[in-house]
Amino acid sequence: MTRFHTADPTGPTSTTGPSRRRFLLGAAGTGLATTSLAACGSGDSGSSGGGSEIVFMNQSRGQAATLKALAKQYTKQTGVKIKIDDAGPTDFLAKLQSSSQSRNMPDIYSAVDGHSMAPYYKAGWAMDLTDRMKGSWGDSFRPATLKTTTFGADNPQGVKPGIYSAHWETPALGVFVNAAMYEAAGLEPDRSPATMSEFIDQMRKIKKSGKGPFWFATSLSNQLVQSYASNYMSDEELNATFVGKNSWKSEGWRKTLQLVVDLRDAGVIANGSIPSGTTDNPTVEKAFFNTQGVAAIFDGTSVVGVARATAPDFTDFRSFPLPKADDGTRTPRLVGGAAKGAAVNPRSKNAAKALKFLHWLTAADQQQVWADGVPLIPSAHAVPNKNIPKQLTGIAAKISDVQLVQNQILEQVNTALQKGTQALVLKERTVDQVLGDLDAAQKSA
Amino acid sequence: MLAAWLFLSPALAVIAVFTVVPFVQGILLSFQSWDGVSLDTPYVGLANYRYVLHDTLFWGSMKNAVFYGVVGLVVANAVSMAMALAVHQARRGAAFFRTVYYLPGVFSTVVVGVMFSWFLDPNIGIINQTLKAVGLDGLQHNWLGDPKTALIAVAAVFVWYHWGFGFILFLAGRQDVPRELYEAASLDGARGWAQFRNVTWPGMSHVTGIVSVLTLLSGLQIFGTVQVLTNGGPAGHTEVPTLHIYQQAFQYSEYGRAAAMSVIFGLCLVVLACVQLWVSRRLGGSTDSRTEKGR
Repeated sequence: MTRFHTADPTGPTSTTGPSRRRFLLGAAGTGLATTSLAACGSGDSGSSGGGSEIVFMNQSRGQAATLKALAKQYTKQTGVKIKIDDAGPTDFLAKLQSSSQSRNMPDIYSAVDGHSMAPYYKAGWAMDLTDRMKGSWGDSFRPATLKTTTFGADNPQGVKPGIYSAHWETPALGVFVNAAMYEAAGLEPDRSPATMSEFIDQMRKIKKSGKGPFWFATSLSNQLVQSYASNYMSDEELNATFVGKNSWKSEGWRKTLQLVVDLRDAGVIANGSIPSGTTDNPTVEKAFFNTQGVAAIFDGTSVVGVARATAPDFTDFRSFPLPKADDGTRTPRLVGGAAKGAAVNPRSKNAAKALKFLHWLTAADQQQVWADGVPLIPSAHAVPNKNIPKQLTGIAAKISDVQLVQNQILEQVNTALQKGTQALVLKERTVDQVLGDLDAAQKSA
Repeated sequence: MLAAWLFLSPALAVIAVFTVVPFVQGILLSFQSWDGVSLDTPYVGLANYRYVLHDTLFWGSMKNAVFYGVVGLVVANAVSMAMALAVHQARRGAAFFRTVYYLPGVFSTVVVGVMFSWFLDPNIGIINQTLKAVGLDGLQHNWLGDPKTALIAVAAVFVWYHWGFGFILFLAGRQDVPRELYEAASLDGARGWAQFRNVTWPGMSHVTGIVSVLTLLSGLQIFGTVQVLTNGGPAGHTEVPTLHIYQQAFQYSEYGRAAAMSVIFGLCLVVLACVQLWVSRRLGGSTDSRTEKGR
């Protein structure tokens, strides 16, 4: 019975037992392992950097090259070394979270959407920049950038009111159209449609010409809806809905969601459905820039950078804000305000240096470099509009009409809105049912 | 005795640090509220479990998980077994087919998801383009965008991705069935189906049992394929519990609720796995004894 062989009491192991040398080796090994494990979780400096080197954890892949070039320039000017830790968009939040858990946070790190960053701000991992933004630094930004990055007293995330990040990009979302397809359908690409019904008519003509008309990703459906909602509601009313003070079941939201129904009934949503999955927006962008299967998409201004990287030969496209609602009661305003930026770790030994670097990154001269290198619409109003890429001029012309809504739609409501938009396109739910779902999601969040 | 514990201690330490502690922490977390960053994790009693019990989306997504589980159990295993039997009988090219059939399983889930999202693309996807090329334009479809086909399309990708795992185990199981049994069966006049029913199937019952449990659990726990292909869409038609748990934790920063969902879902999986093992043992036991009697 081989099974019991090792338990033989007459065997050498049991008679001799472990020698002192073996015991000491084992104890030393265990001690070493324990020390190594303890070292993994220790470190109370709250900083992964040390000395004169600043560590910047970067989320953006599209802006990485420009950030590295600017960091090099900064080192040359000041002697302060910057180490860029390119986490990338997929791993950034997971890496930042593990850094915070091990109390090994970078000196400075990318600030993405408010909902994702709120836990870090609440835990004291970001310097409160409110007082610093009261002077000339704050005045250099477009009002929308500051407004959308300020956590107000009523923020549902429970963050202490204030500003915790500085941004060099003012994005906005709008419609991008293929100029050649427009011309082939007898339309003028340089003339933006005045109303939504005119846009839908244009899409019908595009469809007749045999091309896919309008497409947008599920993950951007909330921005599409929020853009259109500004036809019926003020920024204060939008904010009140997002923080749960106003119901989603209002006339303004009912008219807003009717847009999806109108687009569906007109048959101008390409393929009769909106793509989902983690690559839904890249799928839409691929259909527009690479395979040129659709004539119009709803997307953000950062898409120009994607186009330059993936379809450099295709430049014949234009942009304009989402057209005005025919029955709108207010001037429509773009969704946007602030995208790429950074927050400073106040617990870092290099906090002061990191703050100076962030200040420098957002200065007008550097914002010009961002605008040229990425490209993007800079957050500093001192950067002249003439330097903005021609494909963005349609949206950039209305950049002063960005919604000044302090709070974002809660993630739980966002998910319900995205599912609701899909359900409307599929005729599975009515507008009122979707609005009810949104109210329920807001309450359960 | 001390020496035995000393030799065991590294393994026990690894199991404790990487299995027991996270498991206990996960259960503890289900009674706490945590945003993933804060050092403060207050206990909230059964609040997370109460939330989960009233979460209709979570329970609704269970239906899809069961669908993927059943597809994995029945279709994926049937395909894997058919391929294993075919390769075992192949006189030429067995090594080639062994490699080709096992290959899908070595890809990363994300690679598989992105690859099939291209294949299934309504405009430029290879499937629709092929249908068009052979004159079957009428069969072109928005595979992932239509609720009628989205669930089936994702399940088909799941089967493709997982068949290699079952295939390799079934092949090993088939090779273990003694040749003498087939010779005896032949002498008794058993051919094709009769040999499979009375020799192959009973002989592979233990492998079938373990492959069934593992494939069932893979189907129930499907995540990456769904996330990349549809992210639960269109309109929640492909939503699964694992995706819902992921959203709670990493999108909503509600780690306590996610942990409570994981505990409940984990318990469901344990119960299902026990039932499956019990059924497999019953079937395996009865077929084995029948074979013994037959001998």
